[in-house]
This record gives sequence, C-alpha cells and structure tokens, in this order.
Amino acid sequence: MTDRDVLVKLRELRRTGVGVCLATIVEAHGSTPRTVGAKMLVCADGRLFGSVGGGCGERQVKSAALRSLVATRTPELVEVDLTDDLGTRGGDVCGGRMKIFVEPF
Amino acid sequence: MLTDPLDRAAELVQAGTAVCAATVIASDDPAVRPGARLLALRDGTVEGSVGDAGLDREVAELAAGALARNRREAVTVGSGIRVFLDVLAEGAQLVVCGAGHIAVPLARFARAVGFTVTVIDDRPEFAHPDRFPGCAVIADEFVDALERAPFGPVTYAVVITRGHEHDADCLEAVLPRETAYVGLIGSRRRVRFVLDTLERAGAARDRLEQVFTPIGLPIGAESPEEIALSIVAELVCVRRKGPAQARALRAAVEKTP
Repeated sequence: MTDRDVLVKLRELRRTGVGVCLATIVEAHGSTPRTVGAKMLVCADGRLFGSVGGGCGERQVKSAALRSLVATRTPELVEVDLTDDLGTRGGDVCGGRMKIFVEPF
Repeated sequence: MLTDPLDRAAELVQAGTAVCAATVIASDDPAVRPGARLLALRDGTVEGSVGDAGLDREVAELAAGALARNRREAVTVGSGIRVFLDVLAEGAQLVVCGAGHIAVPLARFARAVGFTVTVIDDRPEFAHPDRFPGCAVIADEFVDALERAPFGPVTYAVVITRGHEHDADCLEAVLPRETAYVGLIGSRRRVRFVLDTLERAGAARDRLEQVFTPIGLPIGAESPEEIALSIVAELVCVRRKGPAQARALRAAVEKTP
C-alpha cells in the first residue's frame, strides 16, 4: 500500500465512522527502515494499513495511537529510538531515530 | 462545513494534482494546535489554516517551496512552532504498449508500487480487462490507442509489443509526447532496427537517445515475471532517484568483467 493509498483509505474509514489514527514519519536520523513522509493507519479495532517501518518502532506507534484515540483525543509526537545495538533490551536494531506524528480522527 | 484538508488532499492526489500538506506537529501557542493544517497547490492556491493568518502566509510560502523542490521536511516557524511539510505528489502513470506475457506481471507489479496503469494492444483477446485487473485497457490500433492514453511529466511508457514494426509505430507516437521515461524491449539487433527506422523517419535524436534500451535493471532476468520485475525496478529507480541513477546501475554492471 503506497502512502497515497493510505490517505485514500483514511478518507474511506472516516466516512464509515471507524475510529482511526494517522501516523506519519516527520523526522528521521540515521538508519531507519522508512523515510520521512511514510504513513500508517491504526484503527480502533486493531486493523493496520500501510507501514512506518515494520517491527522497528511500530509497537510504540500503536500504543500512542490507541492512547490518543481512546483517552486523550489529541495528536501526539512520538520519538522512536532504534539504536539499541543488539536488541538486548528487547528493542529494535535498525540504528536510527525518528519522530512520528500520530493524530486521531 | 468545509472539506477537511486531509480529505481534500486525498481527493486532489487521486485526481492527479500534486499538493503540499503543512501540518502543525508541535506548538505552545494555544491558537495554533497540533494537527491544524493547510494545503498549498502548484497553481498558488492555499486551502485550510494553521490557526493564525500571519503564520498561514509564512507556512504557505514554505509549503510552496517544498512542493517545488519535492522535499519533505519539518521546519520551525513563528515562536518555536514545528510544522511538517508533506509533499503528496500526483501518482505516476504507466502506459504499457503490448499486452503479452510480460505485460501481465508488469501491470501487477507496477500497480503494487503505486503506478496507475494503462495497457494497450490491437488484439482484443490480449487487451482484455480480465487479464489486467485494476488497469485501464485499450484494445485498438496502437497509434489510435496512444492518442487516448494519458501523457505528462509523470508518465512512464514501456514498449513491449509482439513485433518490431509495432514497436517502431508506438515509439514514433510516444516520443513527441511528454514523458518521464520511455523503455523499449528487444534484442540489440531488433532495437537497432527500430531506432534506425525512427531516425530515418525524422524522430528527434535527443529523444531517441533517452530511450531505455536494453530495458530493465540488469538482474539477469529470464522468465516473463523476472523481466517484468527488472522493468518495474527500473521504473522505481527513475521515479525515486532519476534517470541518471538507472543508467549508472546498468553501466556499472556492464563494466564488471
């Protein structure tokens, strides 16, 4: 699914009244799986569309998305650090850092 | 109620209009909230607002610049307000001349990476919608069909017909049109014949030299699916990195003993 498809899907989901969050990579430093502008949708029912980088940081994005959908109802800027060298703390090993803007609709 | 800027952006991009969406991502100013956004179009139109008229002008100018340079980035405006400039480009279009064995996986892979695909052939049993789900299919004489196909700065044309005479006809019709990429399949001998024929017929030499042939990134492709994959890899390379990168990749491989 391209980032363009993600926006079209977002419009479709909003029309059907599904709670949905748009996550967009707005800053990326070092080695990150996807670059600035990459988008993912997180639905209140758990469905995902698009990707901001697979395993790398997606867990953090999902929990921020559900928090903003269910509790805060405000956008959130999530900082994801992928520099845990060997993944020893259960972290991700891509080597970069990124900021992801998560907004509920 | 006004259309939401993001809905509007989706609508514009689907209709083939590039747009920059500028979104507030961090702000201490209560009038300028995270999530507020405006859109800037190539024709100078600005829609939406970040919440402050003065700031709107500054952000719109930055957004227009980002759109012109095709560069996505986060910038700081006003007193420490962070704005993300997202360039949402019109989708690239692929026109495939020839609906044979390679065209089927080519159309499928190209759609998967975001191309809008038009397939052309003069044989209705090949240029059949059942063979190309999600694509525009035109069954007509190649030259007539190409007149109805979309061309512009984001059009990629791939010429893979069943015979060199059809290839020459297609290229002759495609080269005067605006394109981002033209690729021609065939053995060196067949390709030479086509290019020589066109040059004698008066085709512009600089346009002939821009034709990607041999077609596709050199990954040793043999089956129709592999060849389609190498062609789509070349299309992605030209779209993301420009034609020079695609030519450099081939040159590097050909130099390797």
